[in-house]
Amino acid sequence: MSKLFKKTLLLIIILFMIIAFTIAISTGWNLYNDLLQEYKSKGTAIAKSVASSSIETLLNRDASTIQAMIDRFLEISGVSYIFVVDANGDIISHTFIPTIPDEISKIKNDKPRDTYVKEIVFEGLGTFIDITSPILEGIAGYVHVGMDKNNIMAQMKSAMIRQLILISLIFIFSITIAYILVNKVSQPLNALTDYAKKLTLHDFSSPVDIKSDDEIGLLANTMKSMATDLHEVFDRYEQAINDAIVELQNTLAYLTAVIDNMADGLLVTDTDGVITHVNPALSYMFNMRESDFIGRNCRSIFGDNFAEVVEKSRMNADQIFTTEIELAHKRIGKAVATGIHKETIQSDDKGIGAVILIRDITSEKEVDRMKTDFISTVSHELRTPLTSVRGFTEIIKKRLEEDIFPNVTNDNKRVLKSISRIRDNINIILSESERLTALINDVLDISKLEAGRIDWKLENVRPADAIEQAIIATSALFEQKKLLLIKDIEENLPEIICDKDRIIQVIINLLSNAVKFTDTGSVTCKAKKLDNSILVSVSDTGIGISETEKDHVFEKFRQAGDTLTDKPTGTGLGLSICKQIIEHYGGKIWVESELGKGSTFYFTLPLKNINDVSNINKMEYNYTEKE
Amino acid sequence: MKRILIVDDDPIIRNLLEQILEPFEEKNVEILTAENGLVALDIIREKQPELIFLDVMMPKMNGFEVCQKIKSEPPEKIPYIVILTAKGQEADREKAKASGADFYITKPFNINDLLNKVSEILQIKLD
Repeated sequence: MSKLFKKTLLLIIILFMIIAFTIAISTGWNLYNDLLQEYKSKGTAIAKSVASSSIETLLNRDASTIQAMIDRFLEISGVSYIFVVDANGDIISHTFIPTIPDEISKIKNDKPRDTYVKEIVFEGLGTFIDITSPILEGIAGYVHVGMDKNNIMAQMKSAMIRQLILISLIFIFSITIAYILVNKVSQPLNALTDYAKKLTLHDFSSPVDIKSDDEIGLLANTMKSMATDLHEVFDRYEQAINDAIVELQNTLAYLTAVIDNMADGLLVTDTDGVITHVNPALSYMFNMRESDFIGRNCRSIFGDNFAEVVEKSRMNADQIFTTEIELAHKRIGKAVATGIHKETIQSDDKGIGAVILIRDITSEKEVDRMKTDFISTVSHELRTPLTSVRGFTEIIKKRLEEDIFPNVTNDNKRVLKSISRIRDNINIILSESERLTALINDVLDISKLEAGRIDWKLENVRPADAIEQAIIATSALFEQKKLLLIKDIEENLPEIICDKDRIIQVIINLLSNAVKFTDTGSVTCKAKKLDNSILVSVSDTGIGISETEKDHVFEKFRQAGDTLTDKPTGTGLGLSICKQIIEHYGGKIWVESELGKGSTFYFTLPLKNINDVSNINKMEYNYTEKE
Repeated sequence: MKRILIVDDDPIIRNLLEQILEPFEEKNVEILTAENGLVALDIIREKQPELIFLDVMMPKMNGFEVCQKIKSEPPEKIPYIVILTAKGQEADREKAKASGADFYITKPFNINDLLNKVSEILQIKLD
């Protein structure tokens, strides 16, 4: 049954009941009144008739005649009793069987002048309409006719019930008709509603059987074709989604496998530094379970230094930050942190997290330490014999020059030639031992630089001072080769924060290189301020460097020229050391050159954030600052 | 008579220094040698040298320890101590300073520099 019908049915029933009862009551009321009137008039007629016909009889007191007469009237429907009283109030005759009720005594003495109607109640018998009619104006007595009011009520009741039953039947009949009619209209609507419900649940295969050609039929057809279209679209999308899910799952499984099988530890943090992902390698490195990491701030697990590096990497999209970190079982790891940035980089881009790779570098560190220790030991061990070689050579030279040569008779050509050769040879031994000393120093220097065992001083350095000191230190070289040094240093250069001795070392290296490879012409040293840095350059008019050599001059043991044919005159480590020093301060070093025309070496030292840069490098080089 | 003490476990280095310092012998300076720190301490107490060349890496007692010993139990005449070592690191220089050495020369060294330093300390001019 449709809801619409249900709702209206209830209302209709209520209304119907009100109407039905109103009608029944009013009908009953009318019937009652009619019957009452009828009974009254009937009773009055009987009473009058008895009264008029019984005058004689009464006067004669012929009770049996009266009795016969009233018995006859008793047969009329509605008449309950008739009795006749004389003027004295004595009952002459009556129809009461078996006895006269007590209540009669109350009315038998009524002496109305005319016909009088009143209701009396007989206990146990009900209500009666008593009609009193005087005989000969009361002289001969009175006739009482009792009409049964109960009869009226009964009739009224039955009439009302009949009416109600009839109306109900009509109503039920009408409702049934109405229900059938309404159902006929609402059924296709219901079917359509069910169909629409199924469509919303993506059940496009269910049939809808509406064939009418009215609006509902049209709607049904439209929905059907819409469902077919939707079905196709849904199928297509579902397929596409399933494909995409499978692909994603495969990719994810692949990536997870890659991450989980990485030998390096992987750690991912969000914007607040809270750890969101770790791989098994990382858990193993720290001897902790994966659940010990997830959701915790990396500061609480790895400390402030690590957290700062992570934060820095997140804030700087294009930079990578490294630090060393203590692992479980007294091992050392190197953490490389990179910020995670979405492709749409905005000006206020702060990154959405950071990825940190941690590699166990314990053995590398150990090897590094052993290498440095080895080099350090070897160079110390080399120094002692070198001291003897150099010292004794100098003593020999001195003794020869002071005691031997002056006393040799110098008329023998061969002896003179020998003396000249010995002098040259001794000088070669001396210069070679000096070169060996320099080489040992440089090797030691570079191994310390690489192992991060240099104590970097941080002091305010005026570039002009550093250059001046380097020039003084190399002035002897310039004099030897009779080269001109041109200075072009900008006035009032800002101070830089670095280790003065190291910067001087770089400039000396560049100047002595310039002298070494220049036979004629000049060497120019320039310094000027750029936007955020100081640029220093050393140019020469020497042999120059070929394009192919240019890329290698900063490598270890590399020198301009072929080492097999040209006798090397340096250690081959100078520029490599320079590069390490300059890069330590976040600067750059490079060379521009033309073969045969000379070379220019440039280096920059940044003015700003030099502390930041050196801090980062400190971490990278495992810098140990003195207390 | 002024005295110079050479402390080094390497006989060649002792020999070299003796030969380098020969010009001072002509100026009436006695050159003494010791092959380790303990011998050196005995000589210092006995001969009261003005100048000591002290090697660092030696058996039994290293140069820094000898240096500290001299400073903690000073002899009558306090000697001028020159650390002469193959260890040229900044840290070693600091250590030398801390143990009370007066000067620091790394091996290999320049003879003339060394001679100049000795004449300065002993205030004896060479020809």
